[in-house]
Amino acid sequence: MAPLLSVRDLKTYFRTPDGVVHAVDGVSFDLAAGERLGIVGESGCGKSVTALSLMRLIPQPPGRIVGGEVTFDGMDLLALDEEEVRSVRGNKIAMIFQDPMTSLNPVLTIRRQLSEGLELHKGMSRSQARRHSIELLRMVGIPSPESRVDDYPHQFSGGMRQRVMIAMALSCDPQVLLADEPTTALDVTIQAQILDLVKRLCVERRTAVILITHDLGVLAGMTDRLAVMYAGRIVETAPTAELYENPKHPYTIALMKSVPRLDEERREKLFVIDGLPPDLIDPPKGCRFAPRCFAVIDKCWEEMPELMRVTEGHNAACWVDVSKGRS
Amino acid sequence: MMLWRRFASNRFALVCMIVIVLGLYVTGIFAPLLSPYVPTAQNLDAVAQGPSIAHWLGTDELGRDLLSRIIWGARTAAIVSIVAVSLSTIIGVVLGALSGYLGGWFDTLIMRVSDILFAFPSLLFVIFIAATVKPSAVRFVEQMEIAWGMRGLARSGIIDYFVVFTALSVIAWPGMARLIRGQVLSVKRMEYVAAAESIGASTYRIIFRHVLPNCLSPVLVAVSMGLGGAVMSESVLSYLGVGIQPPNASWGAMIWENSGEWRLHPHLIFIPGAVVAIVIFCFNFIGDGLNDALNPRNR
Amino acid sequence: MLVFIIRRLLWLPLVLLVVSFITYGLGFYGPGDPVEILLGQRTNPEVVERIRHEKGLDRPFIVQYGDFVWNALQGEFGESYKYRGQAVNELIAEKVWVSSQLGFVALVIAVVLGIPLGLLAAFKHGTWADTAVVGATLIFISVPSFIVAPILLWTLVSSLHLLPSAGWNGIFDLRLVMPALVMGIPPVAVITRQTRAAVLEVVAQDYVRTARSKGLYERVVVLRHILRNALIPVFTLIGLSMGGLVEGAFITETIFGIPGIGRLGFESITSRDYPVIMALTLLVATTYVLASLAVDIGYTFLDPRVRTD
Repeated sequence: MAPLLSVRDLKTYFRTPDGVVHAVDGVSFDLAAGERLGIVGESGCGKSVTALSLMRLIPQPPGRIVGGEVTFDGMDLLALDEEEVRSVRGNKIAMIFQDPMTSLNPVLTIRRQLSEGLELHKGMSRSQARRHSIELLRMVGIPSPESRVDDYPHQFSGGMRQRVMIAMALSCDPQVLLADEPTTALDVTIQAQILDLVKRLCVERRTAVILITHDLGVLAGMTDRLAVMYAGRIVETAPTAELYENPKHPYTIALMKSVPRLDEERREKLFVIDGLPPDLIDPPKGCRFAPRCFAVIDKCWEEMPELMRVTEGHNAACWVDVSKGRS
Repeated sequence: MMLWRRFASNRFALVCMIVIVLGLYVTGIFAPLLSPYVPTAQNLDAVAQGPSIAHWLGTDELGRDLLSRIIWGARTAAIVSIVAVSLSTIIGVVLGALSGYLGGWFDTLIMRVSDILFAFPSLLFVIFIAATVKPSAVRFVEQMEIAWGMRGLARSGIIDYFVVFTALSVIAWPGMARLIRGQVLSVKRMEYVAAAESIGASTYRIIFRHVLPNCLSPVLVAVSMGLGGAVMSESVLSYLGVGIQPPNASWGAMIWENSGEWRLHPHLIFIPGAVVAIVIFCFNFIGDGLNDALNPRNR
Repeated sequence: MLVFIIRRLLWLPLVLLVVSFITYGLGFYGPGDPVEILLGQRTNPEVVERIRHEKGLDRPFIVQYGDFVWNALQGEFGESYKYRGQAVNELIAEKVWVSSQLGFVALVIAVVLGIPLGLLAAFKHGTWADTAVVGATLIFISVPSFIVAPILLWTLVSSLHLLPSAGWNGIFDLRLVMPALVMGIPPVAVITRQTRAAVLEVVAQDYVRTARSKGLYERVVVLRHILRNALIPVFTLIGLSMGGLVEGAFITETIFGIPGIGRLGFESITSRDYPVIMALTLLVATTYVLASLAVDIGYTFLDPRVRTD
């Protein structure tokens, strides 16, 4: 079966005063209908830019999608004109952003902001849209939605606003939901509630999800598959359980070790990855992780590794088979 | 310094800065050396002439050399802008910083006073101060002259300058005070101030060593705009006849003196007018450039 | 909300009291003897004394000021010194009408030109159009109106013979054009710059990205999400620029010989016509306070975040 969304060799660059930043530099992945994919990586690795590129929301200038193909439902999203993209945005692919405090328009009521998508994509009348907005708020667990629907964003707490954002994103029953660090700006106690809500609603509606985060801890139990990004590229992808069990890429291994775990005996120290991510204005020729890698060989400096098959569904972009050398 | 590098990358702003420094301040300082004629010397054989080799910019109705008067006008503008802005900046920074840092009744008092000064139409107020303060000041100086046996001070026009300084500073300090207060309030919440407090630094030390240096950049913008504003206000006051009085040279006064000639000799108005406009423009452009350098996002 | 308005209105008398006190004090201790202004300088000193006594001008400052406040409360500002026999109230009333017409036209010019120019610059951010608009506004701000006026006179009247020169003949007369332009140009520049800055600020906000992510028409994103937010500070500025118009009126009316309060104000200051000065200062201060109150009230309708405070 053809995947719902297929990204091939996506490249998004930004022009800055210091030079062109290769923020996303050849990202490829597939997303099946109803699948939940996590994209993990440290800040600045290009996760968010990837999501915004799929929505064609890269601010231009300074940004530009310079290459690649994004096939969704038989269409190449990157080749559509602005009008066609518009009918996909918010309708078939929707997005939740990181900071709910700034992502809602402060001078419009929640009703207005929820209904505008419904009126546009579903052709609802004002009163239909209002009724439906109340239902959506009820669905995401806002108490007494009949009265809250006419409130303004500043009358809601951060967690409640993120619920509103989720309601807004799911309002038109999209096939894909892009959630860009949806819990990073929230209190730890609320993070789990929000993630559970996203998971439950998407399972019920068979919505495919791309969950972007820098926090491996957040992903546990949320996703079917994970992709690890480093310096604008995906370095490893595998089903979630497989990746946790059997990470192949040195970066993934290092990342796993640097997460504190409660279910294990405490090791000596949390693992720290030495060094900094490479300069994306002038990326090194070989593997981008080589300068920080514990298993680096000469070839890593010369040639950039592409994703290579490890087992079925598990690919890693590394010249070294780490498992052999590992004790 | 980061700010300077960003500012200097704006070529035109640099040009403006050079124009101001050379055209206003250096010219102002060396006016006696630079001006080809005595600015008040009347030559009734050469009245209201156009530009010539003898008089590069021509002469006015009284046969005075226009270029020399413009150069001496630069001296006036330079003195007024520096003194008035220094006064209002010092008052504004001190009161604003104390107001923001101390809060309480002092803050309330300062803010109410500045509210009231804002409610006064500033130009009306300046004209009024200039018109009412001056005769009293003259009387005072004359008495001093009699008491100390001096002569000529009251009539030399120095009082005009003091009147203009006072009037301009009185209206300009509240703006500066509010700016500083706002900055202080936001800086005050930052952690390094709490750190300084926790090691027992005194209030004044905290304000002058920690808080104020961090407010410097917006003050720089305000000062640049303020200098332009002072040049503008001085020329308006002199134009209206309540600022620098003839025979002392002021650009505003020159425009007023020659305004009867606008049909026949427009250059007598347009040349000093263009000079005023260029100077103010340069100050504003520098202010804009600094502002952009501070907030690069809005460029 | 009501409490807020009442509190602000209670503030008004206090402002007026302080403003009048300062102005009265400057006038009282300042130069010029009202009786001399009334009678001319070569009057018999006994007559001067008598009139001074009759008018109550020989009483202490605080008594005279109290008297002034008492009369002012009843809306009575006395007679002009300069225009003898003219009540200050009447003198001002007709001139206020002239000035408000002129001010209104100038404000309309400022808003009608300023907002679209600001939007143009912001939406064409970084292009030559943006640079041109920003440069032009800086020039507009930098050229004092007493220079703009002769330039306009020289080009439009003397050289091109497009307009009649100076004077006043009501709002529907061509003579209005030049003074209204001279008064309107500085606020055009200020409004343009504020609009541009506000739009650039709002365009970068997360909620605009959210609006785009819903697939809304660009027109809707601009009108409903960007302008709705960006015009809030512009509105404040327009309200406050009414104060600036009063200042513009001083110079403009004096230059163009328009019988409004600006010219009256200038005349009254130079001829030390204190009753007129007092009344005008209070009028202008009242306008300032009321305008800023109107702005604050208007704000609560535009910005829901303020409403619930």
